[in-house]
Amino acid sequence: MTDTPPPITDTEYAIAADGLGVRYTLRFSRKKSIQRTLGQWLARDPVEQFWALRDVTFRLVHGESLAVIGPNGAGKSTLLQVLAGIIRPSEGSVDVRGHVSGLLTLGAGFDVELTGRENILLAGAFLGLDDAVTRDLAPGIVEYADLGQFIDAPLKTYSSGMRARLGFAIATSVDPDILLLDEVLATGDSTFRAKSKARVLELVRDSKAVVLVTHDMAWVKEYCNRAILLEHGHVVIEGDPDEVVETHRRHTEEEKKRKAAEAKAAGLAPEIAGAKR
Amino acid sequence: MSATSEAPAAFRNAASRPGAVALIGEALREVASRRRLVRYLVQAEIKRRGANTFLGNLWWVLDPLLLMAVYVVLVAIIARRPIDDYPLFIFAAILPWKWFTAAVTDATSSIVSQHRLIKQIAFPKVVLPVAAVTAGVVGFAFGMVPLAGIMLLYLDRLSPLILLVPLIAVVQYVFTIGVALLVAAGNVFVRDLGNVMRHVLRLWFYLSPGLYSLSMLDEVTLFRENPLLVTLASVNPFAVLFEAYRRVIYGTLEGGPVMPDWLALGVLLAVSVGFVAVATVVFKRLEPTFAKVL
Repeated sequence: MTDTPPPITDTEYAIAADGLGVRYTLRFSRKKSIQRTLGQWLARDPVEQFWALRDVTFRLVHGESLAVIGPNGAGKSTLLQVLAGIIRPSEGSVDVRGHVSGLLTLGAGFDVELTGRENILLAGAFLGLDDAVTRDLAPGIVEYADLGQFIDAPLKTYSSGMRARLGFAIATSVDPDILLLDEVLATGDSTFRAKSKARVLELVRDSKAVVLVTHDMAWVKEYCNRAILLEHGHVVIEGDPDEVVETHRRHTEEEKKRKAAEAKAAGLAPEIAGAKR
Repeated sequence: MSATSEAPAAFRNAASRPGAVALIGEALREVASRRRLVRYLVQAEIKRRGANTFLGNLWWVLDPLLLMAVYVVLVAIIARRPIDDYPLFIFAAILPWKWFTAAVTDATSSIVSQHRLIKQIAFPKVVLPVAAVTAGVVGFAFGMVPLAGIMLLYLDRLSPLILLVPLIAVVQYVFTIGVALLVAAGNVFVRDLGNVMRHVLRLWFYLSPGLYSLSMLDEVTLFRENPLLVTLASVNPFAVLFEAYRRVIYGTLEGGPVMPDWLALGVLLAVSVGFVAVATVVFKRLEPTFAKVL
């Protein structure tokens, strides 16, 4: 904290990201065993790195709803994780003002031996809520999840739909200043999906700022007033949702054409495809 | 409505790298502010242990008794010289050891098993290994029931000194927290740590004076000829702990319960506090990468 103070340009922002970069070092990537780690270390392999995000700079002021779109692996979820404080940026900085909440993929952190009611308390404790606050919220959660007497049965007796309902009810019971959403709308049966979409809209209206990652372009155009297109960790375009969605559509099509052409070239004449590179 | 016990997500900068003392302070504050979470995790762990078996929580009592029976049979066959009241002699070591192995085993998987949650919300990961060790305390406390049962058979060894057991347990708790933090963080990066720890723990038990007494090492030729090995064996934290538990529960080979070696316990406590400090710094330094690696 003794470093240079954040360059504050505007005063009323909810999120300020400056030159944000997240680097993954692949030395310890997923589930490596001692054998592989030692092997690489002994062989003095250069450590592979890749930037999931690079040079991401944006401001989000209160009252805005920002959509983050882009192809798979563009760094959208990584951006949300940085904003939520789950991942620390490798370079740059991010200033988030207010209480952040993300909608959990429903049911992470549940314990199957505990009852629904006990899981509400456990989830609240994981979220950092005061126990009194969680206890206040509990009746509303129980009602919304609509589990009947199952609420006092261990979670292992629940169907997956019931679990999803409970998870959604907990996640949406807190009303945060800044809401981070990562494709959470597709859960449960159709009635619950409609109910949950309404609830998410309510949250979007009530919270001071929203960052939403989605593939649903209709949603982006309808409910967001700004959008960012991420590709390979870089911001390609930022601005009016219609414009950004259009750019994304064009890029996706070009990519499709390029892939098709590549496949065609590789299929018909591999030596030509090879010579071109 | 959304009053939280946590400070709002503050300014996060890639360049900020807090020092060791700041990290230890942070970890202490995190555990203090998330006491409730630790408690819920401990309760869940206890429920889990009781729920999946036919006899349920009775296993808290049966488990150490059966283990003791196994060792009594084993040692009766291979021992050169019988030890008086041997069941009580080894029970004084089995109880704390069961706590230690359960705690270390649970702590090893504590972070990895919550990988989904860790990638979705920001919470202090320190609470996970701390909860694993604390859940073990409950098992240890349950172990007092079979201990009382065995004590009835050896009433002549019963003394008020047995009340010192919780004090010795405090020293063990501190030492175990240090081990738990290291294995929990280590297992994120090297997933075979669980397999390694299983064997390390087994070897560690046989190298510790649980089934035998430190003074009996002199009868072994190898140790008689190499005094250095005896010194090495006695600086093992579990040599200090086992001897202390045994002195107040069983006594010595010569007679009934005596005061534990306070100096050795005090030194172990001091070393353990330093060890926990180092382990905390290591854990906190690795913590930011958990979400990326998992």
